[in-house]
Amino acid sequence: MNLIDNTPSALTGVNDSLLSEIADRLGEFAQTGQSASIDLRSLPMSDADREDLKERLGHGEVMVKLDVAGLSEIWETSFAGVWWIRHFGGDDQIAAEEINIVSVPDILHAHQADARAAASRLSKIIQEERHHG
Amino acid sequence: MAEPKTLGQMLEARGISRRAFLKYTSYLASSMALGSVAAKAMAENLASARRQSVIWLSFQECTGCTESFTRSVSPTLEELIFDFISLDYHHTLQAASGEAAEEARHIAMRENKGKYVVVVDGSIPTKLDGAYSTIAGISNLQMLEETVKDAAAVIAVGTCAAYGGIPAAAPNPTGAVGVDQLVTDKAIINIPGCPPIPEAMTGTISYILSFGKLPELDHLKRPIAYFGDNIHDRCYRRPFYERGLFAKSFDDEGARKGWCLYEVGCKGPITYNACATLKWNGGISFPIQSGHGCLGCSEPNFWDKGGFYKPLPAPIRDIGKVAAGAAVAGAAAGVVSAAVGRAKKKSAMKEGKS
Ligand code: SF4
Ligand code: SF4
Repeated sequence: MNLIDNTPSALTGVNDSLLSEIADRLGEFAQTGQSASIDLRSLPMSDADREDLKERLGHGEVMVKLDVAGLSEIWETSFAGVWWIRHFGGDDQIAAEEINIVSVPDILHAHQADARAAASRLSKIIQEERHHG
Repeated sequence: MAEPKTLGQMLEARGISRRAFLKYTSYLASSMALGSVAAKAMAENLASARRQSVIWLSFQECTGCTESFTRSVSPTLEELIFDFISLDYHHTLQAASGEAAEEARHIAMRENKGKYVVVVDGSIPTKLDGAYSTIAGISNLQMLEETVKDAAAVIAVGTCAAYGGIPAAAPNPTGAVGVDQLVTDKAIINIPGCPPIPEAMTGTISYILSFGKLPELDHLKRPIAYFGDNIHDRCYRRPFYERGLFAKSFDDEGARKGWCLYEVGCKGPITYNACATLKWNGGISFPIQSGHGCLGCSEPNFWDKGGFYKPLPAPIRDIGKVAAGAAVAGAAAGVVSAAVGRAKKKSAMKEGKS
């Protein structure tokens, strides 16, 4: 528990600018397919700002939990194409938090190299099973 | 079995996926305000890079910088840096001692000639031919000279290695200086701070590994990604400053309400560092958030600037009195466009594409 927490509980007004930035980027994405990302960690937001932004963007149809070098949570907000990405590091601290404006966030795709490794692992398993069977 | 060659192959053998690379680089790219395009490129480049040999030299120092570096290690995401580098020599962390330790340094220098990175923490005493600090029978001065000769780059971590630091405080009895006052023919990066933010160290090393070049530096040779922002411009107490609401002592009403710490000596307005955004201990807090002004530890001579609790000289209080609401909203809008502006500027770098 935090004995002293001086983070202001008040809204700082940052979200109004942030929301219009998101709207601009989303409009651009809808028109041209140009994706964008806004790094929330580099903005001086209070805890109240963060909660307020979460509420104003809401939750949409997709919610993903990743177990990769610690946990990550990704959800599509109620605005299609606007994703909230939250990566946890050690000790469940937030290591990175960003808004992505994109059809699917990169980290959700399976990488070719991982697929290659998986393919060889799978065929090895099948071979071994045949051998023992 | 032959040693796997690239970091991608090396980690694949241990079941670490490319998603882990991407998560790691997203975390670093966020700390460097590089954006997700760069994170992707960084992940790809890192996976095809080779393990970087690092020789870490500790001179007149308190080991705080090493503490900070190793404290970036929680057993998950942040520890990946130790897979990416081969820490071939480090007094405090290596198991070998005495001649075996020095031998390890020489082997690393021979085998990675022209390619290894030297990290220095602590200042170098120059008076009496460097006799104030010796290791393995040679002065720090000699060890630095000998080791950087075939290095690809030198990273001075901590304010001591960057500018002389606490050992150089007046009257500087040992003639302590920072690395760049002695090494003039090598690429040098300063990552000051007392200690530096762990991400600034791991991020800079990973950047070099990914892109094969130094990050953009400011006039004090600091990576702009971490030292490009003023603490005051990124401080969450800034709205109080704008409204003219100041704590006058550490136990008054203003202090309890979390008002601006300018009048109790905060050096945020003259300090460039990432404390206000990255924060410390995995993003939990930073000095201003726990009620103490910034000391300005990432700036040269911060200890000789007339007192940590003495307010900065400029008369600023009146600025805050005008149209508080408008000023705050204006400041917030400025901050967002600054963040986006930074992202734009960085995306123009497109290092990963080459
Ligand atoms: S003077 Fe210090 S506490 Fe006040 S807004 Fe600036 S950085 Fe924050
Ligand atoms: S808040 Fe200021 S004094 Fe403290 S660590 Fe950061 S730069 Fe240094």
